[in-house]
Amino acid sequence: MVQRWVLDEIIDPFGAKVVVDRAPDGTVREARFDLAGLPRVDALLTGHPVAEVPSLVERLCGVCPAAHHLAGIRALESLSGGVALPTAADLSRRLLHHASAIATHAVRAVTTSRDDAVTLRRFAKEVTVAVGSPGHFPATAVPGGVAVPVDAEARDRCLTLVPAALAAAVRIAERTLPVPGPVDAFTGADVALIDEKGRPDLLGTRLRAVAADGRVVIDAAAAAEWDRLVAEAVPGDPAPRPYLLALGPERGRYRVGPVAQLRIGGLGTPQAAALQADWSRRGGHAAAARTVVTVHSVEAIAALLARPELLDRRVRIDPPDRTGPGVGIGWVDGPRGLLVHRYQVAADGRVSSATVLTPTAQNEYWLAQLLRRAIDTGHDPGHPAGESGRGQTGPIVELEDAIREADPCLPCSSAPVGAMGLVVEETVPDAPYDPPDQVPDPSGGQ
Amino acid sequence: MCVSVPSRIVRITPGVLPMGDVRVGDREVSCCLAYVPEAQVGDFVLVQNGFAIDLLDPESAALSLSAFAELGVLDAPEDL
Repeated sequence: MVQRWVLDEIIDPFGAKVVVDRAPDGTVREARFDLAGLPRVDALLTGHPVAEVPSLVERLCGVCPAAHHLAGIRALESLSGGVALPTAADLSRRLLHHASAIATHAVRAVTTSRDDAVTLRRFAKEVTVAVGSPGHFPATAVPGGVAVPVDAEARDRCLTLVPAALAAAVRIAERTLPVPGPVDAFTGADVALIDEKGRPDLLGTRLRAVAADGRVVIDAAAAAEWDRLVAEAVPGDPAPRPYLLALGPERGRYRVGPVAQLRIGGLGTPQAAALQADWSRRGGHAAAARTVVTVHSVEAIAALLARPELLDRRVRIDPPDRTGPGVGIGWVDGPRGLLVHRYQVAADGRVSSATVLTPTAQNEYWLAQLLRRAIDTGHDPGHPAGESGRGQTGPIVELEDAIREADPCLPCSSAPVGAMGLVVEETVPDAPYDPPDQVPDPSGGQ
Repeated sequence: MCVSVPSRIVRITPGVLPMGDVRVGDREVSCCLAYVPEAQVGDFVLVQNGFAIDLLDPESAALSLSAFAELGVLDAPEDL
């Protein structure tokens, strides 16, 4: 039964698996990260009232509930023809989103900078509480705005924590930037959201795509254009290999996430912008990119908290009462990159088809390139099929580095070196070619 | 998509990488508790691919399990 299989996969204690596909001569044809533990839930959403879908999806995920929460609400608003949010509501949503990015990225620093990581997590928690999301699952956004206004006392509590949080974020970035990382040899494009000035914006309404050679493929597209921007090469698959339609299935491969966010434009906050320039000079790997984005998010929160409109009591408008038929598309640039919710809705207000395109699915090709490179550089794992790589040194560490770089949405991505519980599985090479016995051609030749 | 399942801790094995046995649906599975050092037996945790990633209060766990049941990937919880 499919549903049971899904559940068994997602509770598998050590599900992180790299599959190495070999040619008959033993050379590696492809290495890829097995996404079986990250099933597509799109089909499960069909038939549900569209208004319930955002909360269903965020409850299923749990790792990035804020990103799903905001993308889902944006998709509902898109279905209503778009909503001009009250300023206070936009500011509150941005606070939630940046705090979520900080909380996610700070986990990476726990092993190297424990006190700073804890400072950042506490700061992020205080901000999410201030915008009405005290629990693990956010309750901030509602269609047309946010559920509750921010009060001055909560705002002030957050403001008092800003200096320590910014200092912690900068310390982590300055420690991380000089550490060498994988060489960035990605041949695809970078895709991220931007603001009206073309700067990276985690809650932007426009999308930019920049090719590896720096050419701008998409300048500033709106979410409503999504169907003309990106297609899945293997629709509905956990590894759908999406691509930019402008470049086609091969050349149009792309990645999302902090590296893409830093490569598509200059950050709009001063300390992060200076660190971004340093990051670019050093070659730009993902671990450092995450720390730069963290600094940016702390600075962004400081600026948002300083806006007097944040305390406005008008935080919601009634969106037009239109739940179908039609298509609603919502996106955010989450901690791991672009997340897209697309709901197609029938006349009865129920979902006729849904697509939840995650950063992990979009980055699967990038991760495959990184894994292939880790093996090609002489670190072939060489384990027999199914043998656990745990406890091995060298090759497993290289493969772990590749996984940390692309950062698939699995807890193992944050595991300490050597503790990822990675399993390497090799496909059985094709048997040597054994020509069939010669059979007389009934046509007599030709 | 990443999927995490609310589960109740029934046993904890301390260590450098503390492990726990959690009940999810009608099964008990082992998971790593390194990210939730404050977890106690009886607590609800969100489990994803063998790691408990956060604590949940019982009300929130019930809401999540209801979402799983509604989507048909998990039987409705009986012990909440």
